[in-house]
Amino acid sequence: MSDLAAPKPEAAAAAPTSGKLRRAALLALGLAVLLYIPVLLTDRSIFGIRLTNMQLLNLGLTQINLMLISMLGALSLNYLTGCAGLISIGHAAFYATGAMAAAIFGTQLGWPFPVVLMMAAIAGAAVGVLAGLPSLRVQGLYFVLSTMAVHYLVSFVFLEYQFRFFDVVGIPFGTPSLGGFDLNTPMRWYFFLLVLVALVYVGLSNTLRTREGRALLAMRDHERAVTSLGVDVRVLRIKAFGLSSAIAAVAGALYAYYLSNATSETFGINFAIQFIAMIIIGGMGSLRGALIGAAVWLLLPSVIAGFAAEIGRGPGIVGSLLGEHRAQLVQLIFGVLVIVLLIFAPGGLVSLGERLKGLIGFRRKG
Amino acid sequence: MLGQVLFSGLALGSIYGLVALGFVVIFKATDVFNFAQGMFVVCGAYLAVTAISLLGLPFPVAVLFIVAVAALMGMGIHALLIRPLSGRPILSIIMLTIALSIVLRALIEIVYGPAGRTLASPLPSGSFAFAGLRISQLHLTAALVSWFCMITFGLFFRFTSAGLLMRAAADSHEAATISGVRVDAMNRLAWAIGFTLAAIGGLFLGQLQIVSTELESIGLLALPAVVIGGLQSIPGAILGGLLVGIIEQLASTYISPKSSDVVIYALLLAILLLRPWGLLGQKAVNRV
Repeated sequence: MSDLAAPKPEAAAAAPTSGKLRRAALLALGLAVLLYIPVLLTDRSIFGIRLTNMQLLNLGLTQINLMLISMLGALSLNYLTGCAGLISIGHAAFYATGAMAAAIFGTQLGWPFPVVLMMAAIAGAAVGVLAGLPSLRVQGLYFVLSTMAVHYLVSFVFLEYQFRFFDVVGIPFGTPSLGGFDLNTPMRWYFFLLVLVALVYVGLSNTLRTREGRALLAMRDHERAVTSLGVDVRVLRIKAFGLSSAIAAVAGALYAYYLSNATSETFGINFAIQFIAMIIIGGMGSLRGALIGAAVWLLLPSVIAGFAAEIGRGPGIVGSLLGEHRAQLVQLIFGVLVIVLLIFAPGGLVSLGERLKGLIGFRRKG
Repeated sequence: MLGQVLFSGLALGSIYGLVALGFVVIFKATDVFNFAQGMFVVCGAYLAVTAISLLGLPFPVAVLFIVAVAALMGMGIHALLIRPLSGRPILSIIMLTIALSIVLRALIEIVYGPAGRTLASPLPSGSFAFAGLRISQLHLTAALVSWFCMITFGLFFRFTSAGLLMRAAADSHEAATISGVRVDAMNRLAWAIGFTLAAIGGLFLGQLQIVSTELESIGLLALPAVVIGGLQSIPGAILGGLLVGIIEQLASTYISPKSSDVVIYALLLAILLLRPWGLLGQKAVNRV
């Protein structure tokens, strides 16, 4: 570790220390913004000046919280698909597993919330390892299909479970409590989720920097080369699957708790597809991209709804698009966005940002 | 009872086989695993609604209209979306087809409204008794037309020079290009055929059920069908379609209506683990 890291401080010392300062300042600024956002969105005014709904882009704290939960899902999928190169189209299955675990241990047995989340992670990892087993035998397209098959199997189990112990309305989830601290307001949820997302983000990016993480990236790029270097790719794949699905299961449990209800229809195949769309929009293989993709996917619909309310239901095509067909319009925009990005910027918005930086020459020296 | 279930399973399975055949044609030619095939079925159903209910075309003209528009759409999708992405990683292509189906669904719901429509056509819709079975004429017609299309395509693929060129192009892009085959045109043709076969399936599924974008999930049964039959195999696609149709009917009659998906996908998983190349496919040899 120390020999590898040795050249770095020298390079940093050679560069002006203002770079380091600037990073620290940016970090502090970002932190301040993140801490201020919930206050801003609850009070809906900035330093005493009231903002209109449109100036806040029609956003509320609920959307932000759902975005944070989706960020967990997008991070876990990008780790699996973007970094390990394993495509999963059945990621909703792990969400469903997490929600089911939460229903069993939380709703039915009444265990404390942190333990329930732990159990969801364990259940998710277990199902993830099982779902990853076909990767020992089949590859590429066939593996994608096996994840899809796993999705249908888990959905069926969820359906049976739901109707055996609950009813068609779905599984109810109570207010979670972290040792006396009830998560009963959006503001409290926000800070809890923010910490969780930050932990997962830092955890995953550190994992990618370890020996195993580098082996994972190398496996994605050239499997045989990695094998020849003595890495057992089979174990690596199963581990990646387990970790990713554990995170997804926790996200699923949180999602169910946040909505206080879950049905078998919550976690359909389209639910999984939206996470693939998020990582493509944000940037495949980039953890930052996963965050950006989730933000775009969760916040854009609400922004469009805001514009619709602003413009009003005028006559003609625009009016009908913004009015009764708004859901379809959002889908259309997302679909076109994914297609355009796939054709012109396969690296997603992150790569577009890098390219833009390159164009204006706004790059760090060295 | 069993005979009745088998009959409807075979009839529906023939339609699935037709859709799956379109899927395999596209996959063989361009290596695109087309998740939008289900939406192509929906497009076919809505083209039928447009031609028959909205434009009021006579039935034979309506069929021509459906086939022509479907073929054009297939070519357009290949030229605009698939060709720019050739050689990209598999997830990009899969996601492209998923995004395409999202766009098509949104467009259809904007143009036609999200509510379902009924599709009436002059095809016979009564039923008659035969050997103790109640045979629905619409199911029978659908199965017969599907078989007619499948056989026609099989003959075209096997015996005409265009079919030979298509097979050559699918077999090896490089070798075919060197021999002067216009691979690009062949691929475009494959997309036109794939879309058209799905659209014909949609024409019938739309009459057997209500026309809505929910038909997509039925069209997507072509996916397990092709894998069960063997991804590269044309007879395999048809066999897979029939199997999926029969299993679906058996499972929803004898187990529970909601269990058909899980039984089909459990079979898919078993096939993937035991015989990934499918029932009739050829085992690909991986050399290290």
